[in-house]
Amino acid sequence: MSEHHEQTFWTKYIFSTDHKVIAKQFLWLGLFFLAFGGFQALLIRWQLAYPDQPLPWWLLGTLFYEGGVITPDHYNALFTMHGTIMIFWAITPMLIGAFGNFVIPLQIGAPDMAFPKLNMISFWTMFLASVVLLASYLLPEGTAAGGWTSYPPLSAPVGGIAGEGQTLWTLALTLAGTSTLMGAVNYIITVVRMRAPGMTYFRMPLSVWGLWLTSILNAIFVPIIAAGLILLLLDRTIGTQFFVAGGLATVEGGDPLLYQHVFWIFGHPEVYILILPAWGIVSDLLSVFSRKPAFGARVTAICMCTIVVLSSIVWGHHMYTTGMSPLLGKAFMFLTLLISIPSSIFFLNWLGTLWRGNLHFDPPMLFAMAVLWVFGLGGLTGLYNATVTSDIYLHDTMFVVGHFHYTMAASVLFGGLAAIYFWFPKMFGKKMNPLLGKLHFWISFIPLNYVFFNMMVLGYAGQHRRLYDPNEYEFLAPINDLNISITFFAMVLGFSQLIFAYNFINSMINGEKAEANPWKANTLEWTLEGPIPHGNFATTPTVYNGPHEYSNPAVKDRDWIAQSEPMPT
Amino acid sequence: MVNNKMKFWLKKIKSKAQSITWTAWGIWYIDPPKDVSLDGYRIDNVIQYTDIVITIYFSIVILALIFFIFKYRARPGHTAVYDKGDTKKHVLATVAMGLLVFLSIDVVIEAMSFRDLKEAFWNFPKGENVIKVEVMPQQFAWNFRYPGSDGKFNTEDDVVPVQNQMHVPVNTPILIQIAPFDVIHSFFLPNFRVKIDATPGMVNTMWFQATETGNFEIACAELCGNAHYRMKGYLTVESQEDYEKWLADNAPKEDEGDDWDDWDEEVDEGNREIPEEWAWAWKEVQ
Repeated sequence: MSEHHEQTFWTKYIFSTDHKVIAKQFLWLGLFFLAFGGFQALLIRWQLAYPDQPLPWWLLGTLFYEGGVITPDHYNALFTMHGTIMIFWAITPMLIGAFGNFVIPLQIGAPDMAFPKLNMISFWTMFLASVVLLASYLLPEGTAAGGWTSYPPLSAPVGGIAGEGQTLWTLALTLAGTSTLMGAVNYIITVVRMRAPGMTYFRMPLSVWGLWLTSILNAIFVPIIAAGLILLLLDRTIGTQFFVAGGLATVEGGDPLLYQHVFWIFGHPEVYILILPAWGIVSDLLSVFSRKPAFGARVTAICMCTIVVLSSIVWGHHMYTTGMSPLLGKAFMFLTLLISIPSSIFFLNWLGTLWRGNLHFDPPMLFAMAVLWVFGLGGLTGLYNATVTSDIYLHDTMFVVGHFHYTMAASVLFGGLAAIYFWFPKMFGKKMNPLLGKLHFWISFIPLNYVFFNMMVLGYAGQHRRLYDPNEYEFLAPINDLNISITFFAMVLGFSQLIFAYNFINSMINGEKAEANPWKANTLEWTLEGPIPHGNFATTPTVYNGPHEYSNPAVKDRDWIAQSEPMPT
Repeated sequence: MVNNKMKFWLKKIKSKAQSITWTAWGIWYIDPPKDVSLDGYRIDNVIQYTDIVITIYFSIVILALIFFIFKYRARPGHTAVYDKGDTKKHVLATVAMGLLVFLSIDVVIEAMSFRDLKEAFWNFPKGENVIKVEVMPQQFAWNFRYPGSDGKFNTEDDVVPVQNQMHVPVNTPILIQIAPFDVIHSFFLPNFRVKIDATPGMVNTMWFQATETGNFEIACAELCGNAHYRMKGYLTVESQEDYEKWLADNAPKEDEGDDWDDWDEEVDEGNREIPEEWAWAWKEVQ
């Protein structure tokens, strides 16, 4: 691994086994789909605000739809693909694919991943999955339209949705799951087997903790959804009826509820799969930019482990209205509410890190602190959905949509953006423009809160989700104005990301050359100079300190000390 | 002159700002749909309690955050205090705070919720005066069935009114059983704060009681296909006499072989066959 081969363009940039190149490949894939899924969100918002009007030219209306009008079929496809793409093709590749690959080996002092070839195959499986997913748009009846959850029998052939878009969706998701699984196995083994001498578990940065625990969840739960998807694929292709019952079933024994259980046994851990890397990254970044050790880092790591366990036994709270037994409902509610204990400990530790620190408000820090805000709101509003009685009213309304956008979209996106601003100098060797970064932060943070908070207000007013035209219902008349103003802010949020895109691409090409350790951080990746070669470290580093030794009084003249530097006595 | 022009623009900006603040503070002027049910207040109460406590906790976090941002911002001469926060005291304090949150929020709403489930939502009414209705949603309409004068389903005198029309008497417990014909639907009564899924292959039970007469909307809350957004029913709450009259008007007549004449052509377009029979007789609940 570490010796140098003669490398052609193909083996260096395309079919590379270098974890840093694969990380960049995942980052590009994730950013492409982030833009794609985000654009779909704008189309959804337009439809909700102006249901009868054709799309304006600046949303490229006539390019996609005849006369620029979104039909109910288009609309269902839009939110189905928005959800699918954002979760599995944007966040997963960005946080887990890109930063998992880039950060884990560098921060634990390893030359590469444990299985570099598997790593490469993981990316190309994801690429294949993307091709299959995008191919579904070329079908005459369009792509999948059964919601990102794709509950059968609606998503089965008897469900009444025309075309084979759903089949390709199922296939693409199975492939994406396979890719995630290959990544997960790789990350777990790398962390367990390839830590540098002296890198004990509690000396690992919390980012690595988050990514590692995420991989464990992935390795356990992705096979379950894969099994469910394969059964659905059989239903769709060879005529089995695992998930069909009732008036449309031609054979006995199918059960749609089974799919919901299988889906959410995976689906709830998935929420934590997405958020754990962000938590880890935020914990580390708050420490770096406060120039102070992460408060209670061990407790934070243990709380993450607790949440990993709890997250796997609470899936039933997605199904309170399915008529589940009262005993089960109460048990799931109790277990779900238990999650608030480790979560509130997180918040105290994050605030504790800032307390008596020396805060530098660089773009990564702004985004990391924003996670406290958005995850605070997202986490606390989860209480309404965890409670059986309030969930009877709020389930399947826009309230749920606002809540999970705060937790999954806002928190994870801000965590991911913090990570991009933070590691950009190491990934590309160039500096990003900090002023544009701060502008990007404020112009994202304010509209984002307007949009997601008021989505919850819509839900409280009774607007159910996946609704093509809210004007159909008289009781939704009072919230028409709110729908319009949310759309306005959503457009601001969407188009302001062009600032980020400009800053990202421009810095990569014209940016100032970055020094080796621009943030004065302790972790091992910052000890490497210039473009990091294939194989990373010239000599395997020995680790002497924890990752958060900032402002240690034993160190004179500076407020940091690299993990591979012996502590002066 | 200049003054006038300025006044004009100020006025314009002010009116614009007013309309913006109206929508900016959506939560302060948007209420949930009017509650007309016996037990809806329970759900509103849980939501209100949660509103208050999470506002308090969120404010504490944000105030601390803002305070720290000002107090500990980097400036010449300011340094961080080296504190890992891992002494026994620190750990105990954070864990204690976690438990405090659990006790002050979670335990309370859990107690409220369990009580309401036991007393209301999962406490199905029994007795003679309970009105039983079977609901069978299909893409994209609501079918209702009443047992008729003999009180039994699957008999000659079952009443199947026009689609999407449900009538119930006021101040009487209504017990519904729901199972769909085709895909998953969800029976959502915003004004009654209740919702129950209709999943193929299983029969679900739910009850509610109206306290006011009037017309209310029934929404399908689970995605069921392209016309999901138009799968709307009407619930008419009326006096006992009006209800009985309506039931009699809709009772099956000798000459009528088909109850489906009033099928809405527009909704019907592209639909599958209309189910001929109801699949289940009343399922007794414990």
